Amino acid sequence: MSAILYHGQPNGASLTVLAALEESGLTLECRLIDLLAGDRHALTGLAETIALDLGVEGEGPVLVVDGEAMTESVFLAQYFDEAAGGAGLQPTDAYAHWEMMMWCRQITERLSPAAALLGNLAGSQAIVAAIPANDFAALTARIVSDDLRERWQALHDDSIDAAQIADSEAKVIAAIDRCEKQLADGREWLMGPFSIADLVTYSWLAGMRVLRGDAFADAVRTNAWLDRVAARPSVVAALARATVPEPLRAFVPGPEINRWG
Amino acid sequence: MDEVTLYHWEPNANSGKPMLALMEKGVPFVSRYTDMLQFDQHKPEYLAINPQGTIPAMTHDAKNGRRVLTESTAIMEYVNEQFDGPNLMPGDPQDSWRVRWWMKFMDQWLGPSFSMIGWSVFVGPMVRQRDPEELAAAIDRIPMPERRVAWRKAINGDFSAAEMAESRRRVGLGIAKLEEELGKRPYVGSNQYTLADINIFNSTYSLPMSQPDLAGKDKTPNIMRWLKRVYTREAVKKTWAMGKTDLASRYGLIMAEIEE
Repeated sequence: MSAILYHGQPNGASLTVLAALEESGLTLECRLIDLLAGDRHALTGLAETIALDLGVEGEGPVLVVDGEAMTESVFLAQYFDEAAGGAGLQPTDAYAHWEMMMWCRQITERLSPAAALLGNLAGSQAIVAAIPANDFAALTARIVSDDLRERWQALHDDSIDAAQIADSEAKVIAAIDRCEKQLADGREWLMGPFSIADLVTYSWLAGMRVLRGDAFADAVRTNAWLDRVAARPSVVAALARATVPEPLRAFVPGPEINRWG
Repeated sequence: MDEVTLYHWEPNANSGKPMLALMEKGVPFVSRYTDMLQFDQHKPEYLAINPQGTIPAMTHDAKNGRRVLTESTAIMEYVNEQFDGPNLMPGDPQDSWRVRWWMKFMDQWLGPSFSMIGWSVFVGPMVRQRDPEELAAAIDRIPMPERRVAWRKAINGDFSAAEMAESRRRVGLGIAKLEEELGKRPYVGSNQYTLADINIFNSTYSLPMSQPDLAGKDKTPNIMRWLKRVYTREAVKKTWAMGKTDLASRYGLIMAEIEE
């Protein structure tokens, strides 16, 4: 099996997958690419590309196994867990597994689009807007997905409206609230035992604590839990792959906001 | 002990997923038909089961108490892991990843576009015949704000031209990609019948009728071969027999076309 993990700076979807890889104990080649330069859309030698071309997650990491491009951070974390023969990242009880998957889906459908939008506006918008026109045209021309290309364009043009920002801020607060409630019984990790839910939630919430610290002012349990996740060797190792001083500020165009409202 | 109750509408889209998964596994279940067109899913007795007011939902009275499960794809995964019967997930991790990828692609990217079109041509006109005040009151009872927005749009027929065009674009692209995928493998994402087939079948079983410009024997032979393979499964036949509306009659029409 030949496998390469192409990833961005360790934040968001890239952080989830890098940390899950560490947790699984598998070793494979990891290559840092510049997601904000559109490197993800210039990968070569791929035999199957649909998951890269039409992934829901946006600019997440790409695992290439035997020429097949694999995407979506939660599913890649599950893949590492299962390929390692069960690394303990998923509950074995069916109901606990359902609860974990439901939690992860809440995070990837609600928190990650919101966090990506706020994070991009805070840092990446200026970088993308500064790309020379010809280069930006070439970059976006390589993006297969029309809707992902539109998210790049909106970021470039700074055409994101106030209602979307307010909605995203509300979703971040809602996610913190969910964490506070989940951790209310004093549990160490979100699902009880450590799981993919901790990795995916940390990956999108840690950057929000940097950018929207006020929202975490009263979130005592969530703050303590974020600190516990940050101290995990897998997360420390993933963050150590950063080539920028503050990787938790590094955001890229993410999943789309729910089309139904 | 171990009693399963499924709250579902027609064997179609989201409701059809857990119905088919339970049938394939051979798990007996109590069927509680929940009529979406009568807004049964927003009535107090249903909200007591699922406060989100979405269908389907499933209860499982297990050894250590009652479990309430929601979200159709997640319910299918639970059913597959919890109960004996044929495994509806592949054994190989990369195949399992592909099955999950296709289900997410359908649930979050392609499915909402199918729904928007389906609601504008079917659900909207059906419920629009009701008393407007009764409808307004029914919508006010919907717990999730985004569902309220969706229902208002469906009932008033005011999906924008841009929204409908984007949905049609996604349906066209999605069908083309499914056709490509089924040219590589006999089933969606792997070489065996899995939850991905059940998931996608529930939104594509009537494509040759609903999207004749995009799907059919000449345009999408791989999809048609796959549909035939799925249509002839015993579990599919039994599940379709549980339908109560015209949706179920499509089964016979498509079978006739496939077998021509």
